[in-house]
Amino acid sequence: MRQTMPVRLSTAEETLIEQLKSLGNEAEAERISVAGLPTRRVESYHYTDLKTLLKAMPPLAAPANEASAPALRVPGAYQLMIANGAVQSAGTAPAGVIVETSEGTSLSTRDDVLVHLNGAMAKQSLNLTLEGTVDCPLQIDRRIEGAAAHSASSARVFVADNAKATIIETCSGSKAAHVGNHASYVSLGKNATLTHITVDLSAEEATHFSTTEYELAEGSKLRSLVIHAGADLARSQVFARFAGEGAHADFTGLNMVDDGQHRDITLDVHHAVPNTTSKETFKQIARGRSKAVFQGRIVVARDAQKVDGKMMMQGLMLSDEAQILSKPELEIYADDVVCGHGSTCGHIDEVSMFYLMSRGIPKAEAQVMLVRGFLEELIEPIEGDELREALNGVIEGWLQGGIQ
Amino acid sequence: MTTPILEVRDLHVRVEDKDILKGVNLVLPPGEVHAIMGRNGSGKSTLSYVLAGKEDYEITGGDILLDGESILEMEPDERAAAGLFLAFQYPVEVPGVATMTFLKAAINAQRKARGEAEVTTPEFMRLVKDAGSRLNIDSAMLKRPLNVGFSGGEKKRAEILQMELLQPKLCVMDETDSGLDIDALQVVANGVNSMRSSERSMLVITHYQRLLNHIVPDVVHVFSDGKVVESGDKSLALELEAKGYAAYEKDVA
Ligand SMILES: Nc1ncnc2c1ncn2[C@@H]1O[C@H](COP(=O)(O)OP(=O)(O)O)[C@@H](O)[C@H]1O
Ligand SMILES: [Mg+2]
Repeated sequence: MRQTMPVRLSTAEETLIEQLKSLGNEAEAERISVAGLPTRRVESYHYTDLKTLLKAMPPLAAPANEASAPALRVPGAYQLMIANGAVQSAGTAPAGVIVETSEGTSLSTRDDVLVHLNGAMAKQSLNLTLEGTVDCPLQIDRRIEGAAAHSASSARVFVADNAKATIIETCSGSKAAHVGNHASYVSLGKNATLTHITVDLSAEEATHFSTTEYELAEGSKLRSLVIHAGADLARSQVFARFAGEGAHADFTGLNMVDDGQHRDITLDVHHAVPNTTSKETFKQIARGRSKAVFQGRIVVARDAQKVDGKMMMQGLMLSDEAQILSKPELEIYADDVVCGHGSTCGHIDEVSMFYLMSRGIPKAEAQVMLVRGFLEELIEPIEGDELREALNGVIEGWLQGGIQ
Repeated sequence: MTTPILEVRDLHVRVEDKDILKGVNLVLPPGEVHAIMGRNGSGKSTLSYVLAGKEDYEITGGDILLDGESILEMEPDERAAAGLFLAFQYPVEVPGVATMTFLKAAINAQRKARGEAEVTTPEFMRLVKDAGSRLNIDSAMLKRPLNVGFSGGEKKRAEILQMELLQPKLCVMDETDSGLDIDALQVVANGVNSMRSSERSMLVITHYQRLLNHIVPDVVHVFSDGKVVESGDKSLALELEAKGYAAYEKDVA
């Protein structure tokens, strides 16, 4: 039942309502006025209470004047940039890549506050159509530049039937308390193959929200990797729908959380058709006083027989004050399926640590080696030495940042 | 008198409120190979771990000197850099860490600690190839994560490979013979024997006399209930095998 008492609005919520009104979106403004941002009482935000966590809402982003240095540049990648929500012109696209833009967001109308806000705010979407085998990785470099700003961006990717491509999306920008709300809609055609990586490298003081929707046609193959290594407050949502038989996806994620941070990866995989398989592998590392959240749900529709889904969350605590939360859910309406989930959480293995140190490797270095070993499973399957190296660099940066 | 490479003085060690080592005394002069023999549970591995600096052991008395300097306050990596090496009874599997990466990191860490230049990649490859061929270790094995999926014998050979690469001053080998068939034992023994030198000492821990036919010790110590109860030359090992440990344990009782 809807609450009848009006909610007490925070200043961030009040600012947000003003912003929505200024954008002419009365409906969304009304929705926030009535319900506020989701609190722990909203199930999907139970561990990430936005009302409490989102302390301030910066003004809506103005067009970007300058761009800061790239947070991550993958050598040999074709670069596309979205700055403060606006698609920037790029160089000649490689063969098989069609770059276009359209108005508004790319996301569907899902009942989720971050999706609604992206819909209300995103002015433009970067549209990529990928055909054949795209030889180089594509980098979508999303920035929020200038003074602290509330900014939405959007991209839409169509991987044509039988096409093969690799996309890395990075979110970064100036060192300010931005609130970013990024959206991607990614559709894989029949027998298409895609590796899609999203890395948050925003400034620590920023807040990062991202939503990715996947639609998988018959026989398609997806590897998805989400990495949190930027904003203090981050939530990445992945919604996937298997729409064609024979499709397979590896959903993976790396949630690295440092002192004072709260980062959440929320996954919802819907096997709508039979004979589809997914493997979910998520790793969370936390140090200092911090909170890492993983919510993963696999839904198997009533007629979706022979579905195979395996979800695993592994947590590694580098401090005693760190919190690693994991909420796996299976919702299975078909009877002939193989689905399972597991989650483990622990500290660095002392025995391994002693073994490495007994060979002369100092403690800090041994720790880095063991953490890297723990994550190897996520990086190793990524094709392309340069891309793997870039991702290892992100991990390394995080690890080095925490050595006392 | 030359300074012993290792000197253990009246070492007492406690684990979880239980006294395990009860006054160990050992003196290893440079160039000598000493064997420690004792039945299971007598505290041999505890001694080897304490030498290497493993945590969770409470040292309630005594001292350990490497080259005349106490190492009790040193971390395991510092002890390694000072020249101590322990070949583990149960080498640890480390998923996700490639063996080659680990070997290079270990060599370089020790070189760095001693103020030496890092090993170059070609030099490293040559060192590994040479030592590997002597120990029947192929490159496919080294491409795997450290010790993961290695057979018992492969793990032991990999330990000796590390020992050869790191060229320690003091080699402590904890039951390196267990899990080895005769051929592998010969390979390992050859590797160990090739490392014998006047500047290096070795402590070979075993509970079978078998290994000592291949690695002939200068001194044999019988270990029982957390201390050395008898020392002698290599014939003591044979005597021990004939009489059994009980004969020596009674002496102390
Ligand atoms: N971590 C530990 N906690 C409790 N007891 C231990 C621990 N490690 C060893 N011990 C005990 O110490 C004794 C000696 O063990 P160990 O040194 O492994 O003997 P050995 O190597 O000679 O077989 C045994 O009784 C064993 O149970
Ligand atoms: Mg033992």
